[in-house]
Amino acid sequence: MAFSLRSVKVPPNSANLAEARTRVFDFFRSACRSLPTIMDIYNLDDVAKVSQLRSTIASEIRKNSHVTNPKVIDMLLFKGMEELNNIVEHAKQRHHIIGQYVVGRQGLVQDLGTKDQGISDFLKNFYNSNYS
Amino acid sequence: MAWSVVKNAMKGIREKGVGNFLRELKEEGYLKCLPDGNLLQTKIHNIGAKLVGVDKFGNKYYENLDVQCGRHRWVEYAEKGRYNASQVPAEWHGWLHYITDHTGDELLMLKPKRYGIEHKENFSGEGDDYIYHSKGHALNPGQREWTRYQSWQPTKS
Amino acid sequence: MGLGMLASRVIRPTASKLSRNLLFQVRPIVSTPELHTPEASAAPAQPESTPDLPPPPRTPVGGARIHFPNPDDAIEVFVDGYPVKIPKGMTVLQACEVAGVDIPRFCYHSRLSIAGNCRMCLVEVEKSPKPVASCAMPALPGMKIKTDTPVAKKAREGVMEFLLMNHPLDCPICDQGGECDLQDQSMAFGSDRGRFTEMKRSVVDKNLGPLVKTVMTRCIQCTRCVRFATEVAGVQDLGMLGRGSGEEIGTYVEKLMTSELSGNVIDICPVGALTSKPFAFKARNWELKGTESIDVTDAVGSNIRIDSRGAEVIRILPRLNEDINEEWISDKTRFFYDGLKRQRLNDPMIRGADGRFKAVSWRDALAVVAEVLHQVKGEEIVGIAGKLSDAESMMALKDFLNRLGSNNIWCEGNGMNPDADLRSGYIMNSTIAGLEKADVFLLVGTQPRVEAAMVNARIRKTVRATQAKVGYIGPAADFNYDHQHLGTDPQTLGEIAEGRHPFCSALMNAKNPAIIVGASIFERKDKDAIFSALETISKNANVVRPDWNGFNVLLLNAAQAAALDLGLVPESEKSIESAKFVYLMGADDVDMEKVPADAFVLYQGHHGDRSVYRANVILPAAAFSEKEGTYENTEGCSQQTLPAVPTVGDARDDWKIIRALSEVAGLRLPYDSLGAIQSRIRTVAPNLLRTDEREPATFSASLKPNSNQKMSSTPFGTAIENFYMTDSITRASKIMAQCSASLLKK
Repeated sequence: MAFSLRSVKVPPNSANLAEARTRVFDFFRSACRSLPTIMDIYNLDDVAKVSQLRSTIASEIRKNSHVTNPKVIDMLLFKGMEELNNIVEHAKQRHHIIGQYVVGRQGLVQDLGTKDQGISDFLKNFYNSNYS
Repeated sequence: MAWSVVKNAMKGIREKGVGNFLRELKEEGYLKCLPDGNLLQTKIHNIGAKLVGVDKFGNKYYENLDVQCGRHRWVEYAEKGRYNASQVPAEWHGWLHYITDHTGDELLMLKPKRYGIEHKENFSGEGDDYIYHSKGHALNPGQREWTRYQSWQPTKS
Repeated sequence: MGLGMLASRVIRPTASKLSRNLLFQVRPIVSTPELHTPEASAAPAQPESTPDLPPPPRTPVGGARIHFPNPDDAIEVFVDGYPVKIPKGMTVLQACEVAGVDIPRFCYHSRLSIAGNCRMCLVEVEKSPKPVASCAMPALPGMKIKTDTPVAKKAREGVMEFLLMNHPLDCPICDQGGECDLQDQSMAFGSDRGRFTEMKRSVVDKNLGPLVKTVMTRCIQCTRCVRFATEVAGVQDLGMLGRGSGEEIGTYVEKLMTSELSGNVIDICPVGALTSKPFAFKARNWELKGTESIDVTDAVGSNIRIDSRGAEVIRILPRLNEDINEEWISDKTRFFYDGLKRQRLNDPMIRGADGRFKAVSWRDALAVVAEVLHQVKGEEIVGIAGKLSDAESMMALKDFLNRLGSNNIWCEGNGMNPDADLRSGYIMNSTIAGLEKADVFLLVGTQPRVEAAMVNARIRKTVRATQAKVGYIGPAADFNYDHQHLGTDPQTLGEIAEGRHPFCSALMNAKNPAIIVGASIFERKDKDAIFSALETISKNANVVRPDWNGFNVLLLNAAQAAALDLGLVPESEKSIESAKFVYLMGADDVDMEKVPADAFVLYQGHHGDRSVYRANVILPAAAFSEKEGTYENTEGCSQQTLPAVPTVGDARDDWKIIRALSEVAGLRLPYDSLGAIQSRIRTVAPNLLRTDEREPATFSASLKPNSNQKMSSTPFGTAIENFYMTDSITRASKIMAQCSASLLKK
């Protein structure tokens, strides 16, 4: 199961935007399909839900929604495929997954709301950690 | 040799009856011989060899001085399916590897009573129960929250 | 191969040119740069065409310095053909060290008397029939010493073979492995096989208490520990029993080693016979990271090395500092580190309405504190710095509370009415090393043995070397040197001041008299009267002169001197009784009974010790091993700690907490970094920033206005009841608890 995605070959370039778009959706589906496996091998049940991870994948893809060049989309797709492959093959460790996809890129402090308006960088760092 | 095998088998059937003979066949692992050539070869070796001893796990230790030196001692594991070398207890290890000529039963006398511990086979790869997770490891359920320091607990107030 | 050599020949000139250019641009990070310049490294390659010239001078071993007390007494000896000038009375081994030759040794130790029983330091001396033990042989004029001849080498190899005969081969499980003198020297002089076929001898292990582990079979009878115990530590506990192969080190009767310096025998033992019990089998020394830091458990500021592995402090070792601790440290310093792992505060906590603590985020905790701060008046705020606080955080605390309108900030141990104006009135003016010059000591209300073990070791050294007289006023105490107990209360002091006491004649006749006053006097009501009496004494006995200042105050805590330098002085003596908000920065020895019941207590610290139980909000801070901070010791030398391990849990540095709180409270302090605080300190007490330098006090205490106070007749008390447990870290330590249970038992 873990090696089903191993034989990823560089596919021919997408001819147009529509083809690239369908490929992105295919990629999203295959990523979602491998989520139960990922939950299992990285033991993520107590830190994340499948739906959370699914929305993380979606947001990672949406981050590049402004890209229109099919060649660039192909490149990004290949990178995503590579990443997914690494994750599914257990080439990463649990804290990699948690750090990158569960906690996210904002750091551990989640409530960065309106409260932090107008406070100094020192205080922001102070709330974050002792070392910065 | 083949003739003596058949003769022995016939003798066995005659003495114990077909049902008992078949059950014994199964218990002794003769049926497992069919897929497992290693076991089969051990069984063939055993013919005409001298049974030197049986340890408390049921492993049988054979010796046959007629065969090539260095191959004249071997063990038939009690476990017929999942056997490995770590099932040989310490007292028999020396005999089996030609370190000593004393059999395990003799060496058992030397085992210190006060601190000698029971032999345990190596369970590596036998499932989650046998994998070691350090203190504080995510997969170590009991000590997941373990830290290198002890925090102050506000019990008294 | 031919091609390769050809290629390398082609490449070499350019490569060397390249490296030469690089070397001129980049300073190589080596201890002996002159050896690593291209010229020097090229030198040995040249054929020795000039054998008649003596070899180039070598640098002395370990920075050995020569001091000529009398230039006429200089003699010249030849070490391996190279002439060295040394003062008369030096041994051959010392002469070799000056000449830059390291002689192998086991029993010789520069700070102990000479035993000469290991015979490892054998050298050949011309016209001497046998090799001589260099550590015990005085150097004579014109002596020709040869240290690397076949005779010397063979002699040492023989000694090594005899030593290894009865030494167990258990280096793989020995805690000394990797830093063992026997191991190191057997690499040079050991044989690859033994000729010994009999049974090795074995020796029963001795019980020396909870700190020193003994494996007596490993002992090579160098007697360093015996000499240390009798000479430096001043306890006659260890000795040599038996003769020949039955010779063993032991306590004569079954007895623990009751010395506050016993841990040092671990360092001086050249083999693994005496090792650290708490450290046993915890780590190997090569996996440890050393951080050079400062001890904070007393006011001496001993130089230490914190050895850590990952996030754990594994052990503490002394660092050489001739001016402060020489190369010893007290047992408390060496073994209290396990307290750093216990009873730690790791989350900010708020006491709820039900009286229970609840862990909260920093954001919430600071918001709660800021709200309370806005509701109280400035003069109702009190700040107390703990005995382990660094100068930076005390500066931040003072600035913050001053901004809030409070001027009641002090450091615990300094009393309610400290005199911070004259620096000479609270530091050790003669310096710790300077005590060796004194010939009469007057100890007033202080027991240096428990208050500052390293200072006590200095006094003992002086007493042993020069038979200096020691007079002591205070409760009967156990000293490890001869002393006269003059009295227990200030009355005796008055008698000395008036010249009626027999001890006066000793003081008057002394060349360099030294008065040492304990810091526990600060807490007394009649402190001013006592100090003016002491002043009279020092005037009469000529204690303070331009060339000698023997008026010393022995402080108790690491934070005290810096606090007084920074001016942490309370405005009113009764401020704590009327306080509405008490800011405790690690202060655990404050009498919490005095704090009113409705006061809001904020505890900022690293250990859940005494004051936490009264606190309303707890803010977790970093311990001294986890932060960078400046500490000033009792002689006025400021030194810095360095972080060895990361902070635990959600803790923050002390000054960062105060800075963050000030911003949340709307009174933002103007510094964002440690450097910025230090430049603020520079405007208040610039001497704190001159690290590792001692700043002498400029004005003498005679400028002080006279006080009309009368001395009370209350006897002097003991400042420290339990040497092993004095602050929040040592009180959390299990080893220290064991020590006080087994060693202080009467």
